[in-house]
Amino acid sequence: MKKAIGLALAVLVAATVATTAEGSRRAAAASAAIGCNGTMKIGFPTPLTGGAGFLGNEQMSWAKYAVKTLAPRLGLKIQLVPGDTPVEQGAGAATTVAQKFIADKKMVAIIGPSTSGAVAASSTAFAAAGLAHVSPSATRTSLTQTVDGKKEGTSSFFRVVPGDYVQGPTDANYMVKTLKVSKVAIMDFQEPYSVGLADAVEKTLKAARVSTTRLSASNTTTDYSAFVTRVPSDADIVFFPTQKPGDAQTFAQQLIEQGKKAKVFGGDGSNNSEQFKVPGSYVSNFAPDITKVPRDKAIVAGWKKANPGKEVGSFGPPTYGAVEVVLRAIKLGCNAGGGKLASRKAVVRQVKKVRIKNWILGGSFRFSTKSNDPLNAKFYIFKIASNGSYQPVP
Amino acid sequence: MDTFIQLTVDALTLGSVYALIALGYTLVYGVLKLLNFAHGDVFMVGSFIGFGVLQLLGGAADPIVPVWLLILLVTFAAMAGCAALGVVIERFAYRPLRDAPRIAPLISALGVSFFLANSMQLLFGAAPRNYDTFSLSDGALYLRGFDVGNVKVPLLRIVTVLAAFVLMITLWVLVNRTRTGKAMRATSFDREAAAMMGIDIDRVIVFTFVLGSALAGAAGVLFALRVPTAVSIGFIAGLKGFIAAVIGGIGSIPGAMAGGLILGFAEAFTQGYISTRWSDLLVFVILIVFMLFRPQGLFGTPDIKKV
Repeated sequence: MKKAIGLALAVLVAATVATTAEGSRRAAAASAAIGCNGTMKIGFPTPLTGGAGFLGNEQMSWAKYAVKTLAPRLGLKIQLVPGDTPVEQGAGAATTVAQKFIADKKMVAIIGPSTSGAVAASSTAFAAAGLAHVSPSATRTSLTQTVDGKKEGTSSFFRVVPGDYVQGPTDANYMVKTLKVSKVAIMDFQEPYSVGLADAVEKTLKAARVSTTRLSASNTTTDYSAFVTRVPSDADIVFFPTQKPGDAQTFAQQLIEQGKKAKVFGGDGSNNSEQFKVPGSYVSNFAPDITKVPRDKAIVAGWKKANPGKEVGSFGPPTYGAVEVVLRAIKLGCNAGGGKLASRKAVVRQVKKVRIKNWILGGSFRFSTKSNDPLNAKFYIFKIASNGSYQPVP
Repeated sequence: MDTFIQLTVDALTLGSVYALIALGYTLVYGVLKLLNFAHGDVFMVGSFIGFGVLQLLGGAADPIVPVWLLILLVTFAAMAGCAALGVVIERFAYRPLRDAPRIAPLISALGVSFFLANSMQLLFGAAPRNYDTFSLSDGALYLRGFDVGNVKVPLLRIVTVLAAFVLMITLWVLVNRTRTGKAMRATSFDREAAAMMGIDIDRVIVFTFVLGSALAGAAGVLFALRVPTAVSIGFIAGLKGFIAAVIGGIGSIPGAMAGGLILGFAEAFTQGYISTRWSDLLVFVILIVFMLFRPQGLFGTPDIKKV
């Protein structure tokens, strides 16, 4: 008995010491000065595998391109470090990648995480380690704003795209005012991104007196037949905020299979013209088609040269923008520190000061003074044409 | 009533695929007393083989052969490819451990499962592959069919269910009406005695893996004709196939068929009538209930121990 108590006490003491040491190490890592002349690292947690792997790989190609072209112009030597966070693996993968990045002393900032779930899982750790994390695609409202008394992101989290507080009402208002819907089915996939967006859309639709039916599938669902069965036969639209465009395609096909009239309306997560292309469907996204923005011609040409055979998607350009914001924040931090970053937090302090005149998504860029969101950003809606291409709606 | 009919169609489609997967588990367990946890990944490989052959034959948008022949060729290719894979798996991962303690081949099976999943990911990446069946004959497989009341039963569902049933019946005939099937049954009953009777045990076991894996390949194609396939589908499909086999009675062929259909109905009707959130939970509750009250499954025989 005495031996057991002694052993338990020893374990407790060891755990306390280890935790304190870890906390001290993190605090030390957060507060250690970093020279700007050497190579600094930027981490990028993004889904490189899994159903949303297309998003992560597209973003990674643009992040690499941005680091390669922008860092030398700012006099910085930057190494981009990827971290795979498949959406199917949820918070666990995000936390593991975050811990790996935090432990790396040369890590000065983070691009991403890409997904809202990963941000919710890792923002506290990043903030404790003093790491600024700037996401090009995490749109859940509660990451930067308090929703129902809860805020999931920290003051070190920023994003360069508007959140669901813009996407939800934009999509819902389009359904109400342009499509004149009377009945909408709304899906979610039991994870932060889709639940947040579905809630935002449902709120606006209900305020406009549109009848809604809410359905919920697990994130690993592949066959949606039974869900399609529950879509009312007179529903006009099924709002389908998936992060896997292939699932949006499946759902739209199964709607046709069962003779339902409803069209699929996907969020930004389903924006992929190769995987989701059922004509008559809709998709919203936080980026316009930058190939039609004249001043982005050189950037697009450079990216295409570095990525032969690939087409410009909608997730890549905001990633380029996020990298630009981070690199400028690092530069500002280096300037303020006389050639070195006083600590990782020096980057956090500079992020909101970043102003970009020629923003890759059009216009200029700055952060809102009220939150860590971009000022006056908007969402764009596309309709899928008969040839599968995405046409912006007026 | 329309919802009931629609859900029945969904259940039969889903259940048929589960039944084909479950048959593979049950065949191997019946002969070798081994739970082949790599079976779900063989199913996944089958769906990828089918995708590759589909592209070679021109893809869904512009096939070089008639649609019916395209589907047949894709299915046979997947079955053949998976059968070959089954032979390789048996030869290198299970045969050396045949006389080892039972935990050893089980761990080997898990290892094979991880190996297959990760190899496929390395070779083909994580992006889903869509057969784009909708484009075949301008959506005929989705738009043509027959009506039951107000419910449309599209051709694709009919093809899926019929194909699965044809395969199941063929398997039943093979196992119960042929010499090879007799040898398989003898081996599953008593391996040593069967060997003493002159049955080539190695050949029987290889043939069992060929059969089980071929069925998994066919299931992979039938599944992927309706939903995109990806490397990640193997685990869930394998798990559900395993549950179906256990419900029906592991080692029993009619049991595997019944288990698959029961699982399909449980899932579809739960999603349709109760809640879409509860379907996976109910599936596992059914498994637990069977394990507690009827561990031998519906058609299995209780394990009798001599005292």
